Amino acid sequence: VMAALRSLGPLLCLWALRLPTGPGAAARPLDIASYRERVRAMFYHAYEHYLESAFPYDELRPLTCDGQDTWGSFSLTLIDALDTLLILGNVSEFQRVVNVLQEGVDFDIDVNASVFETNIRGEVGFSVVFMQDYLFVRVCAVHRVNTPVIQKYDVSAFQTPTGMPYGTVNLLHGVNPGETPVTCTAGIGTFIVEFATLSHLTGDPVFEDVARKALKALWKNRSDIGLVGNHIDVITAKWVAQDAGIGAGVDSYFEYLVKGAILLQDKELMSMFLEYNKAIKNYTKFDDWYLWVQMYKGTVSMPVFQSLEAYWPGLQSLIGDVDNAMRTFLNYYTVWKQFGGLPEFYNIPQGYTVDKREGYPLRPELIESAMYLYRATRDPTLLELGRDAVESIEKISKVDCGFATIKDLRDHRLDNRMESFFLAETVKYLYLLFDPDNFIHNDGSVFDVVMTPYGECVLNAGGYVFNTEAHPIDPAALHCCRKQKEEQWEVEDLMREFYSLKKKTNKKFTFKRASDQGEGESAKDPEDSSSEKGGEKRNSRKNLHSLLSCPSQSFTSKLAVLGQVFLDNT
Amino acid sequence: SCSRAKDVTMPAKLPVNFFSTRSPVIDLFRGQLDYADHLRQDSEIVLYFFYAPWCGQSIAAREEIERVASRLSDQVLFVAVNCWWNQGKCRKQKHFFYFPVIHLYHRSFGPIEYKGPMSAVYIEKFVRRVMTPLLYISSRSKLLDFLSNYEPGVLGYFEFNASPQPPGYLTFFRSALHSLKKDYLGTIRFGVITDKHVAEEISLVHSGSVYLHRHVNTSLIYPNDIMNYTAENICKWALENREMLVRWLRPHGGKSLLLNNELKKGPALLIFIPYNPLAEIHPLLDEITKVALEYHNCNKSQAAEADLQHLGDTDSPAFDSSVPDAHMKLPETISIAKYPCCNTVVLPQWHSISRTHNVCELCINQTLGIKPNKVHVPHCNFLEIEAALDSFYLQEHTFFQVVSSTIECSNLLSFYSPFSYYTACCRTVNRHFLSFISSEKTIFQTPKVAFSSHGKKDNTQHSIPHIEDRNCFIPDHISGTNITGLSCRTNKTLNVYLLDSNLFWIYAERLGASRSTHLKEFATIVDLKEEVHYVLDQNQSLVGSTLEDFIKNFSVVYSPLKRHLVDDPSVRFHEQHVITEVTTSTFHHTVFLSEKNVLLIYYAQWCGFCASLNHIFIQLARLLPPDNFIVARIDITRNDLPWEFMTDHLPTILFFPHRRKEQSVKFPEDFSVNLPNLLKFILHHSSLSSSEPCTKECLHKETVLQQGHISHLEREIQKLRSEINALHQAHDQLEAQLSEARREEHRLQQQKHTLEKQHKSLQLHSKQLQATYNRKNQELLEMAEKLQQLADASENLLKENAILRILVASREEKLQSKDETKESLQSEQTLSEDNDISGSTATAPLEDKRIDNTNTVETEHSSGNRTE
Repeated sequence: VMAALRSLGPLLCLWALRLPTGPGAAARPLDIASYRERVRAMFYHAYEHYLESAFPYDELRPLTCDGQDTWGSFSLTLIDALDTLLILGNVSEFQRVVNVLQEGVDFDIDVNASVFETNIRGEVGFSVVFMQDYLFVRVCAVHRVNTPVIQKYDVSAFQTPTGMPYGTVNLLHGVNPGETPVTCTAGIGTFIVEFATLSHLTGDPVFEDVARKALKALWKNRSDIGLVGNHIDVITAKWVAQDAGIGAGVDSYFEYLVKGAILLQDKELMSMFLEYNKAIKNYTKFDDWYLWVQMYKGTVSMPVFQSLEAYWPGLQSLIGDVDNAMRTFLNYYTVWKQFGGLPEFYNIPQGYTVDKREGYPLRPELIESAMYLYRATRDPTLLELGRDAVESIEKISKVDCGFATIKDLRDHRLDNRMESFFLAETVKYLYLLFDPDNFIHNDGSVFDVVMTPYGECVLNAGGYVFNTEAHPIDPAALHCCRKQKEEQWEVEDLMREFYSLKKKTNKKFTFKRASDQGEGESAKDPEDSSSEKGGEKRNSRKNLHSLLSCPSQSFTSKLAVLGQVFLDNT
Repeated sequence: SCSRAKDVTMPAKLPVNFFSTRSPVIDLFRGQLDYADHLRQDSEIVLYFFYAPWCGQSIAAREEIERVASRLSDQVLFVAVNCWWNQGKCRKQKHFFYFPVIHLYHRSFGPIEYKGPMSAVYIEKFVRRVMTPLLYISSRSKLLDFLSNYEPGVLGYFEFNASPQPPGYLTFFRSALHSLKKDYLGTIRFGVITDKHVAEEISLVHSGSVYLHRHVNTSLIYPNDIMNYTAENICKWALENREMLVRWLRPHGGKSLLLNNELKKGPALLIFIPYNPLAEIHPLLDEITKVALEYHNCNKSQAAEADLQHLGDTDSPAFDSSVPDAHMKLPETISIAKYPCCNTVVLPQWHSISRTHNVCELCINQTLGIKPNKVHVPHCNFLEIEAALDSFYLQEHTFFQVVSSTIECSNLLSFYSPFSYYTACCRTVNRHFLSFISSEKTIFQTPKVAFSSHGKKDNTQHSIPHIEDRNCFIPDHISGTNITGLSCRTNKTLNVYLLDSNLFWIYAERLGASRSTHLKEFATIVDLKEEVHYVLDQNQSLVGSTLEDFIKNFSVVYSPLKRHLVDDPSVRFHEQHVITEVTTSTFHHTVFLSEKNVLLIYYAQWCGFCASLNHIFIQLARLLPPDNFIVARIDITRNDLPWEFMTDHLPTILFFPHRRKEQSVKFPEDFSVNLPNLLKFILHHSSLSSSEPCTKECLHKETVLQQGHISHLEREIQKLRSEINALHQAHDQLEAQLSEARREEHRLQQQKHTLEKQHKSLQLHSKQLQATYNRKNQELLEMAEKLQQLADASENLLKENAILRILVASREEKLQSKDETKESLQSEQTLSEDNDISGSTATAPLEDKRIDNTNTVETEHSSGNRTE
C-alpha cells in the first residue's frame, strides 16, 4: 500500500506538467484528468449505494435499490471492487473492507457455485494482497490455512475421466450427483493463472497440475483444422457445441494461455496459443472481424461480433501484434459509436443487433483493450473510446442507486442489475486508461525490496498480470513465493565465483554447461561454446525459441494513430 | 416481491435539451424531423446537426457547432436534431452508424454531408463554401488569382446576356455543389466567368464551356460531345483529371488506409503547418506550393512559369503593377494549348557518361485525325494518352540519341486508335542544370520545331529501364542549383503532402518533432519502403529555401541526409535507478564510452514478456558490482537505434564486454531468463578472465576488483543482517504468537478449573437436591400414611355411622310400632322424641362434616398416590 501511495504522489505532479497547451484554433485534446475524476465519481456512486442498499448480498439492484445473491452469497460486488479501491488510491477504505471481509466471508456454505465464476471472481483475496508488500509475507503463510476449504471444492470438480472439470460444484458437498457433464471451453481452460498462483503460494502443486491437465485435454481434443468448440462433455470428451470463435464460451481460455505463458514464462502454453491463433486467423478472420465457424469444417456459422470478443485486441497487444489489434479495435469501436455500447451480439453483414441479444450489461472488454492498446500506441483514439464510454454510461445507465445494465441498446431500456464486473473491471480499466501513471502501469522504474525469511525479494516492479476479472497478480511476488533455496544458493555461488574469477582460470561454471542442467529439453552440445557457432544455431532455430517474445514494431507504427492502419508489405 | 423485482425494467430517460435554450442552434431534442423539414423551406442555407445525446463525439462537436452558429446565424439556419430518441421521427426514418452527422442544404440541393474535422474553423469554411459554391471571376486579376492557387480550379464561362440564366449555368452551379458532396475537403474550387475577354484569356469562346486548370500538365476543357453535360459528370471529370501537386492529408479518425495508400506511392514529403482555413492569406502555404510547383515543373511549361510568377507576386501589395507582366505571358499558355493533351516522358539515358537527358512532351494531335473541325474544343482522355504512351515506349529508342538544343518532334500513329496521331517533341536537357536553366530559357520561348521521321536512328540499346540512372552521377553542385523540374530528374521522386499541425501534430511528434517548440512547423521525408525518414532541422525556420535544400539533399545520390532516430524525451530518471534507462541520444555514451561491462535489455512497456521480467533485471542489477557493470535497458518502441543495433524481438538481451564493446553477444533465446542463467551468461562472456601479464594497471584492477568484492560482501552482510532482522521479526512474531498461545492455554486452563469447580458445586448441589428430594418424599409418604390412617378412621366412623343409622332406623321402626299400640305412652314418648330430635339435629351436621372430610382425604390420597 505504501508503494501505491508512493507511486501516486509523483504521478500527480508529473501530470500537471503534461497538460496540453494548445492554441485556440487547434482541436482540443481530451482533458484526461477531468475524465479520470468522472470515473472516480462513477465508482463511488455505485460503490456507496451498494454498501448502503445491497451489502451483504452479491449484487446491487439499482432500480429497486436493494440487493440479491447471484453467484452464491459472498458479497461478490464488494470483493470484486476491492482492488479497484487500491487502484483509485483509497487505501484506508481498502483496509477497512479487508478487515470486514476477513471476518465475514465464508466459502464453506451449502450453495452451488459455478467453478469457473467462483474461481475468477472469488479468489480475489490473495491477488489483491499481492500488491502490497507488507501483507505479502503473511500471504505465503496465511493461505496455507485456507487451502483445505478451497481444495475441497475446487479440485473435486476436476475428477473426471478426461481431467476437464465440471461446470458447477457444491461448496460443501463437492460435485452434485446428476450434475451435467457439459462444460463450456472457457470453464475448462480458465484456471491456470489462479491455480498456478495458488500452487506457488501454498507449495501444493495439485492446483497447477489439474489446471494444466485440463488445458492439455482441450488441446488434445481440438479439431483437425486446429479449432475448439464452445461446449464439451467432460466425461466423453465429445464436443456438444461445435461453434468455434473467440467469444463467449471460449474467450478466457485463449486469454489464459497467453497470460499463463507470461506469468509463468511457459513456452508450452504460448505454443498452444500461437497454433490456435494461426487457425483463428485462417478460418474466422474476415476484414479484421472474427466470425464464428464450424470447428471441423471451418465454414461460417454465425457472422456475428459478440461483446465478449472485444478483449481480443488487448490480448494481441500483450504479445506484440499491435497492428492487427488496432485494426480490429477500430472495427469494434464503430459498433460502440452506433449504439453507445456493445450489444451482446452484433450481426456484421446487417450492421445491427441480433434478436434477444441487444443488451449491454456494462461489460469491460472493449475498454480493457483500449487500456492495453493505449499503453502500446498512445493513440488518442483510444482515449476517445474512454470518453465515449464515460459519457454513454453516465447518460444512459446512471440511476439514483447506481448504474443499471442496459437491457436493450436499441431504445436504452434499463434492467434491474449491476453486475459485479462493473466495479471490478469496467470502472477499473476506465480509470487506468485515464491514469497512465498509475502504479499498475509501472514499467519497472520503481520497485520495492522486501526481506523475507526466505531471502530478498523485489516486488511491485510492474508487469502485473490481470486475471480475467481484472484482479492483478504481481509476477514478482509469485516468483518470490516459489523461489527455491537452490536458486538462492546457486546465485550465491555464482557471485562468489564472480569475484574470484581473476584467480581461477578454469571456470567452475560455464554458461552453457550450467544452463544445460537447468533446461533439459533445450540441451545443446556442450562443446559448442563459441559464441559464433551459437549464433548460427540460433538463427536456424529462430522460430523455435522466440516464443516468449514480442516482435518489435514496424516503421509504420509511428504513423498508425488516429485511425490510420497500414497493410503489410508482404 | 423477489421475482417481481427481477422483472423490473425502466425505459430510457426522456430526452432533454442538448443545446442551451439561448443557443442560436434550434434544438429539436425530441427528434422532430418533420418540423426540421418544415423549417428548411424558409431558409436558403440550412445546417442539420444530427446527434445522439449519449455520444461523446456529439458532445465534443456541440461547442464547435455553437461557435460556427454564433458567427453565421444571420445567414444560415442551424438545426440540431436528436436522432437517437426512439420515439422521434428522425430515429424512425434515418439510420446512422455514427454521430454526429452534419447535413447541409443549399435551397433544395442536398443533403451535402460534412465529413471534415469537427473543428469550428473547418466547419465554417465548409458552410461558406456551400453558401457560395461559385467564385465570381470578374476581372483578369481575379482570374490570375484563381489560377495561381495550388488547389485545382474549374472555370465555367457563361454569357449573361438576355436570359437571366444562360443554358448550362444551373448545371454548372449544381456541379459545384455536387463536388462538395464527393470532395468534402473542398479542394476543387469552382469559378464562373461572365466576361468574354476574361474568358478568352483561357481560350474559352463558347458560353457554357467548362475549363479545368492544371499547372504542370495541360489544362483541359470539358468534352461536351463525349460526356453528357450533367452536374455529376462535370464533378467526376474534374476529380479524375485534377492535378495534385500538394495534397492535404486529413485523416477522419476512423479506420482508414489514407496514409498507407499515399505513402506506398513512394517517398513523401510531409509538411506540418498550422492552418486556419478561414484566413485570407497563407504566406507559408504559398511558399510551399511554389516550391512544389517548381519541383514538378519538368517541361518548364510557360503556364507554370506564369503561375509561379503570379504566386510570387501575391505577396506584394502592389499587385496591379505585375498585371501587365502576367498579361504578356498568358498568350503563350494558349499557344501551347494547341496540343491539348500532353504528357511529359523522361527517357532513360542512352549513354551513362552523358550529361544530358532527353525529355519528351507527348501530345495527342487530333488535327491530323479525322475530326479536324473540332480543334477548338479539344478533348482528351486518359485512354488516349495511355495508348499513346504505350506506342511511344515501343518507339522510344528513336529518341535516345537526340542531342539537340532544339525541340525535335515526330508524328506517330497510335496503335490503339488508328484515327489519332500523337506528336512527340523531345529535347535534351543538360545535366548541368545551372547552366541549362539560364541559357535554355530562350529556346523555350521560341521553340524551333523540327519534325524528323521516326525509326532512322535504330542503333541503340533496347533494354534500358525507364526508371532513371542509378549509376550515373549527378554533379555535386546540384545542391546549389534551382530545383525546377527536379522531380523528373531524380529517381526518388517525392510526393508533397500538407498536414494541419493544429489537428495532426501527433504524427509530427511521433516522427521526432520536438515537443518543446511553440511553433508547430515541421517537415519530414518519409520513405515507407526503406523504413526511414529524414527530418528538416527544426532549428531552421520552415521557408521555401530550406525546403528546397531539404528536397535537393534528398534527391542527390550520396544524400547527406541522415536517417532520423526518434528519441524519447520523456525519460524520467528515478533516484532508485539501479537500471540505467538508455535513449537514442544516450545510447552511444552509455554503451560504448563507459568503462564498464554493459548488459543492455531491449524492451517495450506493452510487451507482456518484458514487463514480467522486470524484477529479475532489478535483482541482477542489485547483485552486480556497480563499479564494473551497468545494467541498462532501452524502450525500443520509443527510441530508434542505428540499424546494426536494431532487434526484431523483445525482450532481447545484449552483453557488451568492457574493452571489447564491438563484440557484443546476445543472450540465447532458448534459455529461460532467470537470475542464475543471466549470471552465467555474464560470467561466460565477461572480459575479466583475460590472462594478461600483470602490470601496474592490472594490479590496480585487481584492487578495484577486490574492492568491488569487499563492497559486494559488505552488501551481502547487510543483506544477511536484514535477513537476520527479518528472521528476528518472524521469530518475534512467532514468539508473540507463542506467548499468545500460551496465554490462551493458560486462560483455557483457568477456565477448565473454574468449570471443574462449578461442576463440583453443581454435583454438590445435586446431592443436596437429591437429599431434599428424598426427605420430601419421606415426608410425603408419612403424610400419606397419616392420611391413610385418617381414611381408615373415617371409614370406621362411616361404618359406625351406618350401623348407627341402621340402629336408628330399627329404633324408629320399633318406635312406630309402639306408637300404634301404646298411644297412652305418647306424651312420655314425645318427650323422649324431642330429646332424640335434638340429638339427631346435633349429629346431622357432624355427619356432613365427616363426609366432607372423607372426600378431602380421598382426594389427598389420590394426589399422594400420584406423587408416589
